[in-house]
Amino acid sequence: MNRDVYVIGVGMHRFSKDPISKRDLYFTAGMDALNDAGVKFRDIGSLYNGYIGGGMTEGIGFAKDLGLTGVPVTHVENASATGSSAFREAVWAVSGGQTDVAMALGYDDMRLMGNPMTQPARGKKRLPSMENIMLPAGFFAMWAQRRMHENGTTVETFAKIAAKNWNHARHNPMAQRRADHEVTADEVMAAAMVAYPHTAMMACASGAGAACAIVATEAWAKKHANGRPMIKVLASQSQSEHYGDGHIFMGAVVGPAYSTELTGQLAYKEAGLGPKDIDFVHVHDAFPIEELMYYELLGFCGAGEGDRMVADGETTFGGKIPFSPDGGLIARGHPGGPTGLAQVWDATRQLRGEQGKFQVEGARTGLVHMMGAGSICIVHVLQRA
Amino acid sequence: MTKMVPLEEGYMVIPENPELPCRLIGSYSKSANKTYFPIRKLCPVTSEPVETVELSPVGELYSWSFIMMPKMGSREKVPGYGVGQIDLPEGVRIQAPIDGKMGDWKIGMKMRLVPNPVVTDEDGTQYCGFKFTPA
Repeated sequence: MNRDVYVIGVGMHRFSKDPISKRDLYFTAGMDALNDAGVKFRDIGSLYNGYIGGGMTEGIGFAKDLGLTGVPVTHVENASATGSSAFREAVWAVSGGQTDVAMALGYDDMRLMGNPMTQPARGKKRLPSMENIMLPAGFFAMWAQRRMHENGTTVETFAKIAAKNWNHARHNPMAQRRADHEVTADEVMAAAMVAYPHTAMMACASGAGAACAIVATEAWAKKHANGRPMIKVLASQSQSEHYGDGHIFMGAVVGPAYSTELTGQLAYKEAGLGPKDIDFVHVHDAFPIEELMYYELLGFCGAGEGDRMVADGETTFGGKIPFSPDGGLIARGHPGGPTGLAQVWDATRQLRGEQGKFQVEGARTGLVHMMGAGSICIVHVLQRA
Repeated sequence: MTKMVPLEEGYMVIPENPELPCRLIGSYSKSANKTYFPIRKLCPVTSEPVETVELSPVGELYSWSFIMMPKMGSREKVPGYGVGQIDLPEGVRIQAPIDGKMGDWKIGMKMRLVPNPVVTDEDGTQYCGFKFTPA
């Protein structure tokens, strides 16, 4: 990066299945982040709105509730990686010298989204497109099925990962799924099947929500630290697909799993550190097969060793490397646009030591990973300065 | 006799003679010696020109799932349907619905491409996507 960049404020509106207007979601998360940072909207030099659903002008319209300051506003969309992309744009706006303070604000209601791939009418008939995207549930289930075939991974392993994330979310006030009891792998396996071998309790929670992050230069970070640790962005990497054997061009949802490995390696290189230096990880755990594979692809264990990490409890609090400490997509939720920024919300607060009952003790460095359909992989590394 | 046509041009060939196999249309890159589906405008590896080729109608099942959720963009309840990834001999992996029910599929089994009627016109013309069925 050209200039050092710091996260100076984060905010959220709880992820939820409740009917909340997107305008209210937007305003709540934006004000929460401004108050957290101790800055005013007039201080923001560039604003990146991240949303998948919604029509033309929606985000810039909602921004008017925060103020009419003339700030440049840009709509960013990268499917599930929308919030992460908005964050990355904000980071580079500051790093590149465009502005000293930038805001990334993601919001969405996943339930209001239609099929983005539908073709226009052909004659009088409205026909589905050949390029109709595969349901993510089916796509990742096929990852799981292949993993079971090649590695002998059991459904119970997937259930244990999901139960872990449900339990991580129990104390997260921003989580969509907050169980009133300790969730067990048996309970997860007994839930309705959505796409074999994944059950409904293994699938990410889709609902509505918003999340926001404000990034700034070192001078602004120092001025607004307010006695709290400063959180530095050590790496910001993004990769679209590289060709590989068995490459699926049509309806793939996301590209090859090794996109995560490549992007992770670039992020480690930029940050000047490796997996052993990371204290917690956020990933695109839309289904537990993903989290399992990312243990290996991000270098936290060798190929095929992820199952053992689950059996040994290495990816929960007190383990070798906690994954999805806020509940992840499975339990904190995945509305779409704000999801990557909810990861930044938790990562920032983890690094400040503010997460109370779901705090990763002594966390100094966090890795934040997201996949977006199309596809794109984004990895950020944040560190307590 | 029912006429079957592809939903969109450029993806598949459905012969009028039902005895002949339906085939997907892909691109072959001489410069990379690789084949892709669907058609590419240029070779994604070398950026050199590609030629249009018809692909083998039979491949091997690489992975599968049985989905109990509505299709993308729909909230209609469904009785469940199979999806699979099929490796064709040209080195192409195809993702598509598959015929059958839980217990019918095994990774490595042979699967054959068939038309998948999606919409029927007033004159009886069937607009088809594609799917695979155990060979």
